[in-house]
Amino acid sequence: MSVERLLEPFTFPFMVDAMVAACVVGIACAVLSCYLVLKGWSLMGDAVSHAVLPGIVLAYLAGVPLAIGAFVSGLGCALLTGFIRANARLKEDTVMGVVFTGLFAIGLVMFSKIRTDLHLDHILFGNVLGIERRDFLELIVVSGVMLCVVTVQGRDLLLFCFDAGHAKSIGLRTGWLNYLLLSLLAATIVVSLKAVGIILVIAMLITPGATGLLLADRWRGVMAVAVAGAAFSSFLGVYVSFFANVSPAASIVLVQSGLFLCALLFSSKHGLLRPRGLDSVVSAK
Amino acid sequence: MIQELLTPFHYEYMVKAMAVSGLVGGVCALLSCFVTLKGWSLMGDALSHAVVPGVALAYIIGLPFAVGAFFSGLIAALGMGFVRMKTPLREDAVIGVVFTTFFAAGLLLISIFPSEVNLQQIIFGNILGIADEDVWQVVLIAAVTLGVLAVRHRDLMLFCFDASHARALGMNVKVLHFTLLTLLSAMAVAALQAVGACLVVAMLVTPGATAYLLTDRFSRMLKIAGVTGVGSSVAGAYLSYFFDGATGGCIVALQALIFAVVFVFAPKHGLLTNRFGVAKEVGI
Repeated sequence: MSVERLLEPFTFPFMVDAMVAACVVGIACAVLSCYLVLKGWSLMGDAVSHAVLPGIVLAYLAGVPLAIGAFVSGLGCALLTGFIRANARLKEDTVMGVVFTGLFAIGLVMFSKIRTDLHLDHILFGNVLGIERRDFLELIVVSGVMLCVVTVQGRDLLLFCFDAGHAKSIGLRTGWLNYLLLSLLAATIVVSLKAVGIILVIAMLITPGATGLLLADRWRGVMAVAVAGAAFSSFLGVYVSFFANVSPAASIVLVQSGLFLCALLFSSKHGLLRPRGLDSVVSAK
Repeated sequence: MIQELLTPFHYEYMVKAMAVSGLVGGVCALLSCFVTLKGWSLMGDALSHAVVPGVALAYIIGLPFAVGAFFSGLIAALGMGFVRMKTPLREDAVIGVVFTTFFAAGLLLISIFPSEVNLQQIIFGNILGIADEDVWQVVLIAAVTLGVLAVRHRDLMLFCFDASHARALGMNVKVLHFTLLTLLSAMAVAALQAVGACLVVAMLVTPGATAYLLTDRFSRMLKIAGVTGVGSSVAGAYLSYFFDGATGGCIVALQALIFAVVFVFAPKHGLLTNRFGVAKEVGI
């Protein structure tokens, strides 16, 4: 393959746009994924992302921006789950399963009843190659705000995710941090929808953080691995999809999974193929 | 008016859809009692997404879809167990990483062979247009699951309720774990046909959760879940005739509605009883 052929994707504006958008989504999701994986909220991303569907349909009917409807309904799912959990003798994962599937189903029924120019495929699987200017700007702004919030509140959020009881005992407002993290999650999911869709955004909200935790001990390291890995995956996924003519969202996620697999095999601490001689050195320390 | 309400029964495909939905809904509902008790809701969700590459592959090479789905679900479950054992990651993160990987692989396969596989059919189910050989696969899976549950439900119940107790009694917990996982995987495949990958988890969780709010006895819980499962599935399929075909959506929305009503009004564990009933008792 000649160099020109390899550089061909960069000559199309929509490919460059798609790569940049995918990288921004990847980075925003990766930052959040570190907190979610630490907190044990992997299912929460799953639930919130499915639950945005009725909000999108209602927002379309009411004529308000779809992102607002999606955000409200995603957050509503999380709050409703919390409410039912507190008032019924059911496990949290059960409640979540009931609530998000119920909302998704209502969304589907409403969707099949209205005439619209929305494509269910685009909501479910994203449409990164056809992303519009407005969505692109929205994505940049929301991701920017999210990153700022995480930078400012990062330490508190970290402690909250690591040990909520401890966070409370030293006087942090855990209730507020809980809602803050949920809002960040919902906002990130909403802007990521356009690029990767509601099903694969779940992967982007879990895999980078899990990879980071396998490879690094310190929080900065976890974050760095997650962000670098996600940005690389987004770029490579979109790039490969150009040549292989496959779904870009799926290939992004598969590259992320590939990185996770490498971490699983070769991580110096937990890797399956780590040099065994080092174990004794580590344990001697 | 009555004529209009009876029209769905005039169409063979509607009757077939209602019958298959009822069967799948009923067996899933029985299984959901074990799933909610064990706290495996995420597992149901994960397996229903993890079977997608298997289904896609089976359609591409022309095998029965159930075979492909079953193996891909099983490989995913084993993969989760393996990663869980070898890493310090939390279980939910491991499940999340593995099932999204499988799902993405399925999507990739479908995007390579768009003509052999119908994505819509996998994601939303296709109960109204289900082929006869697929009906037989679903019936077979449901019958085997029902048989296993009938023979082993006491052991499974104890395992779900308290695994260490089950082990202390000398039961083979590993076999029970594997049995439940296999049943879950099999029913996820069957339910895929009825409601699609996104909503399978509802069939495997909601009836059990609803029944758990209504009773304290497991045998009664099974009955209540079974009845709501069959009822909501048949009624959902029936209603979907008037809703232009979102069968899975109708079934699951109906199940969620029943759950909501029970959550508020359940005599012993409902919201109203908890809020006001307890207050009254304390007042007295």
